[in-house]
Amino acid sequence: MRRWTISNTLTHLFLRFFAANFNLRKKLNQYLKSEDGWLDFTFGLRTETGSVEQTLVFESGRVRVRATVPDPPDAMLIFKDEQALKAAAIEPPNQLMIALMQNKMVTRGNIGYLQLINFYLSLLLKPMQIAKLQKEARGERRAYDPEKAAQTAIGGRRLRQLKPAAIDPGVHFLRDPYLSDLGLDDFPRLKEFLGVHLKTKPAICHERPALLTQWFKENGFETDPDGRPHVPVLRQARAFNYLMTHKKPLIRAKDLIAGTTTTQEIGVVLYPDAHGTMIWGELLTAPFRPLNPYDVSPQTVAALHHQIFPFWLKRNFREWVRQNKGYPTCQELDERFAACFLWKTVALSHTILDYPRLLARGTGGIRADIARELAQTPPNMQEKRETLQAMTICLEGIEAYAWNLATEADRLAGVESDAARRTELMQLAQICRRVPASPCATLDEAVNALWIVWIGVHMENTNAGFSLGRLDQWLQPYFKADMERLANESEREVYIRHAVELIGCLYLRCTDHLPLIPDIGNHLFGGSSSDQAITLGGVTPQGEDAVNDMTYIFLKVTEMLGIRDPNVNARYHKEKNSRTYLQRLCEVNVNTLSTPSIHNDERVMASLAEFDYPAEHLRDWSATGCVEPTLSGRHIGHTNCMMFNMVAALEMALNNGRHPLMRWQLGPATGDVAAGAFKEFDSFFDAFGHQLQLLADLTCQYNNYLGEAHQAIRPTPFISALIQGPLDKGRDVTRGGALYNSSGTACIGLADITDALMAIKTLVFDEKKISFAALLEAVNANFADHAALLAMIKTKVPLFGSGDRQALAIANRVTKLAHDIFWQHTNYRGGRYTAGFWSMSNHVAFGTLTGALPSGRLAGKAFTPGLTPEAHASKSILSNLRDVAALDPAHLNNNIAFNVKVVPAAGERHQQTVETIAAYARAYCDLGGMQMQLNVVSSDTLRDAMAHPENYQNLMVRISGYNAYFVTLNRNMQIELIERAQFGVG
Amino acid sequence: MANLAAKRPLILEIKGNSLDDGPGIRSVVFFKGCPLACVWCHNPESRNPAAELAFDPPKCVDCGECRKICPDRALSRNHPEYVARSKCRLCFLCTDVCPSGALERVGRTMTAAEVLAEVLPDQPFFDVSGGGITLSGGEPTLYMDFASELLRMARRHGLHALLETCGCFDLPRFMDLLYPHLDAIYYDLKIMESAAHKAFCGLPNERIIDNFKALLTAARRDGKLLLPRTPLVPGITDGEANLRAVAAFLSGLGVNQAALLAYNPLWHEKSRKLGIDDPLKGDPAMSAFGDGARLERGRAIYREMGIDPTG
Repeated sequence: MRRWTISNTLTHLFLRFFAANFNLRKKLNQYLKSEDGWLDFTFGLRTETGSVEQTLVFESGRVRVRATVPDPPDAMLIFKDEQALKAAAIEPPNQLMIALMQNKMVTRGNIGYLQLINFYLSLLLKPMQIAKLQKEARGERRAYDPEKAAQTAIGGRRLRQLKPAAIDPGVHFLRDPYLSDLGLDDFPRLKEFLGVHLKTKPAICHERPALLTQWFKENGFETDPDGRPHVPVLRQARAFNYLMTHKKPLIRAKDLIAGTTTTQEIGVVLYPDAHGTMIWGELLTAPFRPLNPYDVSPQTVAALHHQIFPFWLKRNFREWVRQNKGYPTCQELDERFAACFLWKTVALSHTILDYPRLLARGTGGIRADIARELAQTPPNMQEKRETLQAMTICLEGIEAYAWNLATEADRLAGVESDAARRTELMQLAQICRRVPASPCATLDEAVNALWIVWIGVHMENTNAGFSLGRLDQWLQPYFKADMERLANESEREVYIRHAVELIGCLYLRCTDHLPLIPDIGNHLFGGSSSDQAITLGGVTPQGEDAVNDMTYIFLKVTEMLGIRDPNVNARYHKEKNSRTYLQRLCEVNVNTLSTPSIHNDERVMASLAEFDYPAEHLRDWSATGCVEPTLSGRHIGHTNCMMFNMVAALEMALNNGRHPLMRWQLGPATGDVAAGAFKEFDSFFDAFGHQLQLLADLTCQYNNYLGEAHQAIRPTPFISALIQGPLDKGRDVTRGGALYNSSGTACIGLADITDALMAIKTLVFDEKKISFAALLEAVNANFADHAALLAMIKTKVPLFGSGDRQALAIANRVTKLAHDIFWQHTNYRGGRYTAGFWSMSNHVAFGTLTGALPSGRLAGKAFTPGLTPEAHASKSILSNLRDVAALDPAHLNNNIAFNVKVVPAAGERHQQTVETIAAYARAYCDLGGMQMQLNVVSSDTLRDAMAHPENYQNLMVRISGYNAYFVTLNRNMQIELIERAQFGVG
Repeated sequence: MANLAAKRPLILEIKGNSLDDGPGIRSVVFFKGCPLACVWCHNPESRNPAAELAFDPPKCVDCGECRKICPDRALSRNHPEYVARSKCRLCFLCTDVCPSGALERVGRTMTAAEVLAEVLPDQPFFDVSGGGITLSGGEPTLYMDFASELLRMARRHGLHALLETCGCFDLPRFMDLLYPHLDAIYYDLKIMESAAHKAFCGLPNERIIDNFKALLTAARRDGKLLLPRTPLVPGITDGEANLRAVAAFLSGLGVNQAALLAYNPLWHEKSRKLGIDDPLKGDPAMSAFGDGARLERGRAIYREMGIDPTG
C-alpha cells in the first residue's frame, strides 16, 4: 500500500503539469512524434522507501500520469530520497546526470528514455535551465571572448631552443635536427589554423548519423527489405560505403590536406549506435553549459530528435546487452558509476592500423589481395567470404570519397583567384585521384592518404582513442624519396619547411573533430579530446635505432603548435637511442609544458613478455589512446576497455562486502572489521583480493557482453581490411580476426590503496597504535573529531613514493594481484586481459565517489593520477622516481602513467632545466622506470589560470595519459592538478 | 670547538635532489654546529651542535598529548612560543607522542654508514648528471674524523664529493683528513674587514683568509675546484666596499671566478620555530628576498674587477 505523502502528491501534480503541457501545447506535442510514428513508452519514478511512486505513460501522442509503476517500465529512476527527487525536477539536465553519478538515484531500463525525458523536461523548463547554466559559467569565470583569448595564447608563447650535440645515424637530411631556427611565424597558414582551433566553439554534426540512419531505414537493420536477417558485417559495409559515397567532400580553405571529419569547422561526431543518445537530454542546453559547450543548430536538434535518435533507442551496445543478456548485475554495476566505466558502451577503438601496407599498396592493392583470397575461399566458408566481401565494399567506399574530394578540389581550383592556391588545389585534386587507392609516391600523397583513411576510420568507429602509430617510421621513406629527387641544398631547405608545414596541417586536421562528451563526461574524463596517439622513436622491428628525420620534424611540430591532440608519445631506448634525442624530448616537454610522454622502450617490451610476441612485432609497438602498448597493424587490444576503480574493492573489504556510496551488498562477506575479523594484515589483504576479484569478474563479463553487442550492432569491416589477420582468418576484428587479441584495463588508485594498506599495516598490525575497529570508525566519520589520528597517519606512515621498502613491496603486491586477476580472464575474441595503471581523469571522478580512506585521504578527494605517489610522500622527486621505477613491469602490461609537476627556476636557465629533466629521465630509465610525463608548470600559474582563464587558453597539462587545456577542466580536476606534488628544477 | 673533531655530529637533514649545491643532482648532508655565529645565518638551526626542540604551530592539532607527558611543564598554550625554553630540559618525550610532527627533535644521531645508506639510492641520478654528495651545515669541518670517514666511504662508491665551508678550520688536519677525498670546495668569503667579520660573524677572519690562500695553492696543484662564494646580505656584506675588497683579494691571487649568492630571508621563520634569538626580526631590509638588481650590481663590480661572477 502506498501512502499519499506530500512529496508523492507534489510529484504527481508536477507530472500532471508536464503532461498537460505536452498534451495541450501543439509546439510541444509535436515532439512526442518521430518520423516513424509516436514515441510510446513508460517512465517510472520512485524513491527507495516507496514514499513516491508515479509513472508517465506516453501513448499515441498523449501523456498520462499513473500512480503505479508498471513491471517493467521502459525506464525508471529510483531516488535515494525525496530531496534527490526534488532536485532532479528543477536542475538542468547536466546536474541530473551528475546526481546519477553520485548515486543519489539509480536508473532502471533503457537509458535512452531517460535522455528523452530529459529532453522533454528541458523543452518545458529551458529558460530556467539556461539561466542556471549561465550563472554557473559566470561564477566560474568561464565566459570570455575566445577570439581574444586565442590571440593572447598564441602571442604569449616563447620557445627557447638548444642546439643538438650530435646527429643521430638515422637523420640524413636535417643539418640541425632540432630545427631551432623555425617558429610558428614562419608558417602563417599554421598560425591561422591554430587560432581557429583555439577560438572555435565546436558544433554537433549530424551528417554521419543522418546518412547512416537513412540507409538503415531503407535497407533495414535487423532484416533486409525482403525480411531476411542481415549479415551484420555486410550490412555495416554497405552502410559505410553509402556514408562515404554521400558524405560531403570538403576542403578547408588554405589546407594542404583534403577532407574533413564533419561538416563543421570543429565537429562533434555522433554515434547513436554507441552512446550518441546520451546527448539527447542536453540538446537544448549544451550551448550554454559551462564546460566545453557545443553549438547545436535547430536543424540538428530536429534531425536528431525526429529522425535519428528514436531509431537507435534500442539499437546500441548498452541496450543490446540489456535485451539479450537479461539486464545482468555487471551492467547494473557499470550504470552505478562508482566502481567502473566500461568504454565499450562508447567505442571499441584503441588500435593502430597497418599504415605501412596501406601506403605501399594502396587500397587498390589491398582489394587485389582480398580478391585473390576470395577466389581461393570455398563457398562453404561463409563467414570468411562475407567478411572479405564486406572489406572490399568498405575500401570501395573510401575510394569513392577520395574521388569526390578530387572533384571538389578541381571545382575549387576553377573558382580560385589566387594563383598559388590554385596550384595547390590542382595538386590536391591529383593526389586524391591517386590515393589512397594507389601506392603513395610522395610525402604529400602519404599524408593525404593517411588522413582520408583516418576520416573513414572515424566514420566507422567512435573517435575515442583510435591512434595513428609510428608515423615518423612510416612516413620517413616518402620524405626520403622526395628529398633525394631534389637537386640542391636550397631546394632541400625549402622542402624541409614544406614537410614541417604539411605535418602541422595533419596535426591541425586531427583537431577538426571531437568526441561527444555529455556533461557527465566533463566530470569523468574532463577536457579529453580523441586522444589520437602518435608514437615516435624507439627501435625498428629489427631492433636498431629508429630515430630519423621525420622524428625531429614531428617533434618540431609538436613544440610549435603546443596542442593537446594528437597525443605525442616518445619511445626511448637507452641502449639504441641517442642523448641528443632524449634531450630534445625533454626540451619539447619544457616548451609545451606537458608533452611528449616518454616511454622506456625496453621496459614496455619487457612488460609484454608473457604474450610471447615475435620480437619484430613486439619492437613495432605504438602507444594507443593515452599510453597503452599496441602491436602496430596487427592487434586489437582495446587497451582502454575499462576504467576500473580498485579503491571500490578496498572500501568493500573494509565494509564486509558492502559498497557504502552505492548502498549495495555487492561483494562476498570477507570479514567484519568492527567485530575483529582480521588478526593479521595478510588476512585483510586477502579480503581486499576477494573483493577485487569479484569486481574484475563482473567488469570482464560486461566487457565480453558488450563485445558481443559490437559484433551484432557494429562490426568494423573497414578497419578489418587495414589490420593484419582478417584476410587469413576470414573474421571481422570484432570477432577476433586480428592477428593478436587482448583487452586492456586501467586500474585506478594504486597509490591511494598502497598508502591505505600501509596505514592499516603500520598502525593497526605492526605498531598496534590503534585498533582496526577504531581506525574504521574514524574513516567512516571522515576523520571528523579524529584530528590527532589523522595527523599521526600523515606523519608516521611511510607512503608509496617515499623510498620506503615496505610501501614499495605493497605496491608491487597490489599490481601483481590486479594483473593476475585480469590475466585469468579471456575476452570474447579469445584474448587475455591486461592491467594498466593510469587513469585518464577518472582518478578525480572516482575520488568524488569514494569515502575517506585509512591513508587519511578525506571523502570525495581525488585519488592521485595514474600511479603517481601522493604529493606529500617525499620532498624529493627522486624518491618518487625510484619507487615507480622499482615496480615490476611484469605486472604492468597495459602501461602506467606517472605524472608530477616540475617547476623551472625563474630566469633564463633553459639549458639547465632541460638537462636536469633529461637526467631524471635517463636515471629513471636506468632504474627500470617504464613511463613518465611531466607537467612543467607551477601551482601558482595554475591558480592564476583558474582566476584568469582568458589569459591561458592554450595552457596544456597532462591529466593522466592525455593532455588537456587547463581552462576546459572542471573545478575538481583543476584543484587536483594544483595539489599535485611539485618539484623545482634548476 | 676542537674537541668536537673526533665526535659524531648530529645530522640536521639529508636533502635529496639538490640542484644548487654543486654541479648536477646532489644530496646535501647538513651537519649541526658551526664555529661562526653570523647574525643572518640562513640555517640558524645548524649553529648549535646540540639537539634542539622545534615547534611548528601550523602543524599542531592541539591534542594535548605533549602537555600531559612533559615532565618540566615547559609546554603551555599560554606561552607565546608554546615552548618555555627556560624550563625545557630537552628530554624530547613530547616529540615521541606528538602525532602531527609539530614538535620535532632537530638533529639526528647517525653513523657515517647510515648517512651514506640514505644517499646511495640516488646515485643513478648523480651518475647521469655529474652530481654527487655535498657536505654542508653548519660546518662539516668541525667533525673532521666523521666527515673524513663519510667522504672516504662516498669515494669508494665513486661519488663526486663537494664541501661547503666557512673556512674556519684547522688546516693541517683538513689537508690530512678531508682534502684528499674532495673533488670540489665551495668556500665562503663573507666580509673582508676582520673587525666587521668579528662583529657580524663572531670571529675575526684571518684564519679564513690564510686557509683560503693555502687551499688555493693546493687546489691549483691538484686540479680541484675551489669556488669562493659571498652571500649578499643587505647592509652587511653587499656594500660596494666589501665586494670590491673581496674581488680585489681574489684577483690579487689570480682567481677569476667566484659566486655571489642572493639573500634568502626564510631563516627568520626557522629561528622562531626553535626559539632562537633573532635581533634582526622585523628589519625590513632583512625580510625580503634579495632582488635581481642587487645581484646584478654585485656582479657588475666583480666583472669590472676581472672576476666572472656566474660561478
